[in-house]
Amino acid sequence: MKGNVKIWCLIILALVTVFVTPWLGERSIGFDVLARPFTMGVDDLDAVIFWQIRVPRLLLAFLAGVGLSLGGVVFQAMFRNALATPFTLGVAGGASFGVALWVQLGLSFSILGIGGISLAAMGGAVFSILLLYGLVRASGKSSPMTMLLGGVAISFFFSSLIMLLQYLMDIGDSFRVIHWLMGDIGRANLDSVLQVFPFVASGGLIVMYLRRELNLLSVSDEIAASRGVNVDGVRVVLFFAVSLMVAGIITVCGPIGFVGIMAPHMCRLVFGANHRVLVPTSLIFGGVFLTWCDTLARTVSVSSEIPVGIVTALLGGPFFLWLLFKHGERH
Amino acid sequence: MGDYLKAGSGDLEYSILVEGVSLSIGRSRLLDDVSLKVKRGSMTAILGANGAGKTTVLKCLLGLVKPSSGRVEVNGRDVNLYSRVDLARELAYVPQLLNASVSFTVLDFVMMGRYAYEGGFGYQDKEGEGVAMDALQRVDMSKFIDRKLHTLSGGERQKVCLAAALAQESEILILDEPSAHLDPRQSEEVHRLLAGVAESSGLTILTVTHDLNWAAMDYDYVFGMKDGRVVAEGLASEVITCDGLRALFGVDFTIVPHPDTERGMVVPTVRNREGGIS
Repeated sequence: MKGNVKIWCLIILALVTVFVTPWLGERSIGFDVLARPFTMGVDDLDAVIFWQIRVPRLLLAFLAGVGLSLGGVVFQAMFRNALATPFTLGVAGGASFGVALWVQLGLSFSILGIGGISLAAMGGAVFSILLLYGLVRASGKSSPMTMLLGGVAISFFFSSLIMLLQYLMDIGDSFRVIHWLMGDIGRANLDSVLQVFPFVASGGLIVMYLRRELNLLSVSDEIAASRGVNVDGVRVVLFFAVSLMVAGIITVCGPIGFVGIMAPHMCRLVFGANHRVLVPTSLIFGGVFLTWCDTLARTVSVSSEIPVGIVTALLGGPFFLWLLFKHGERH
Repeated sequence: MGDYLKAGSGDLEYSILVEGVSLSIGRSRLLDDVSLKVKRGSMTAILGANGAGKTTVLKCLLGLVKPSSGRVEVNGRDVNLYSRVDLARELAYVPQLLNASVSFTVLDFVMMGRYAYEGGFGYQDKEGEGVAMDALQRVDMSKFIDRKLHTLSGGERQKVCLAAALAQESEILILDEPSAHLDPRQSEEVHRLLAGVAESSGLTILTVTHDLNWAAMDYDYVFGMKDGRVVAEGLASEVITCDGLRALFGVDFTIVPHPDTERGMVVPTVRNREGGIS
């Protein structure tokens, strides 16, 4: 198939996803709800379910998929490792820790309209990155493998800190944190969509702008620098963009794993390694992928729903293993 | 090629000027008062054992490493005064054999050499595509534009790297052991291409290499480095001598004239069989 045809297929897939998934669910809803977008109250249950639950949920899943997938693309290019994602590198661990700490301290304030819990997640994400980056700079050991292992260690470190906090919490807070850690889009409403959107949009724009730099960084730092890329500067900006997106998503949806590995890798297989194409296609495919995972999560069991983090991990685990044993050597 | 004075204006025209550069990281001194001048349009090689500091000198030129002291000038201007993009327009770099996991198509990769001439977002340098194709033609790889890099042989990958550097349209080409890990035929091809490029375009070429005969055969001027210092410099025929090589590598070689060009070629000194394999 030619490149353009593949891209059109992806766009059609995305459109199908957006227009079909809201109709999937336990309760079947007629097309007539489209005419009643602003229904309030419970008189019109179909319209409420459609417009206030399913549509925001679709939007949130799509946005989260976009951000997590882009985070994966960026980290895989910068670390030149197909398994690098914000999750494997401790960013999610840091953000999760920030949220757990926030809950434990019982704080509540916001700055410039950004909720305090988002700031806590963002702070945790940035802190984990600075920690890893600082260690790398101080030791001079910047091989992607060292960074990856360092990230894994930081991830574990934060996991233990989260467990320690949970141990100290009362049962209610602890459950709140556990449920949050499972990764869930079920809490979506229009507010949560609006809360995530600026993070994903601004981070996404930065990544889109730096596609050529990503191409060069994915080859080697020396090549990138010799072609004219300000390697350190671009790296910092990309780290920042990814932390922004991941922190924004993680606060609302919790840590949803594996999207950042699966979506970019599928796109790499289909569309090739050029980030001019890989970034926009991973962006779309990440959204599509997470939306379908979430649809599966809320429809597969009749009376309740599974947190989407469980679905992505169930799909992602075997995929991860396949990737590791089939392509691990080459990366 | 012959006389290294041929291409420059003959006197003070240097593309690269390194003066009294020292570099220490932690307690190890990587470079110790290194000075070297590279004539515009010349082919210059840096020889030396592993760990002698050759690659570190290249990194200083690329602005990847800041010397602790001393001055590095590219085309008459301090390397620190260049923005990365401006430096990329003056000086292109060809690395050692490219990692086989790089899976760009050949054309995409060569187009990445045009970074310094492009804008942000989706802007694609239309003129650049012509330059890239032209560069691929010069290395005889234009038939491979849609192939993925990781499916190419080492020699072909190296030619593509050379094309990407040429697409950068800079005056200076810096190469770090460009024929390491290549089989004899592939390295001969790379050498031939470089000689052709030097001849036709008048680029200044600075190469770090372990290939003594290539340096003896094709290069005008040679620097010898040992333990972070420049210990020898001069015409290839002045540095690549029995004594010169012994000083650089601590090993005896024999120099014999090339049957066609009379240039001195390096062959191993006959080993004492009794002392050899026991």
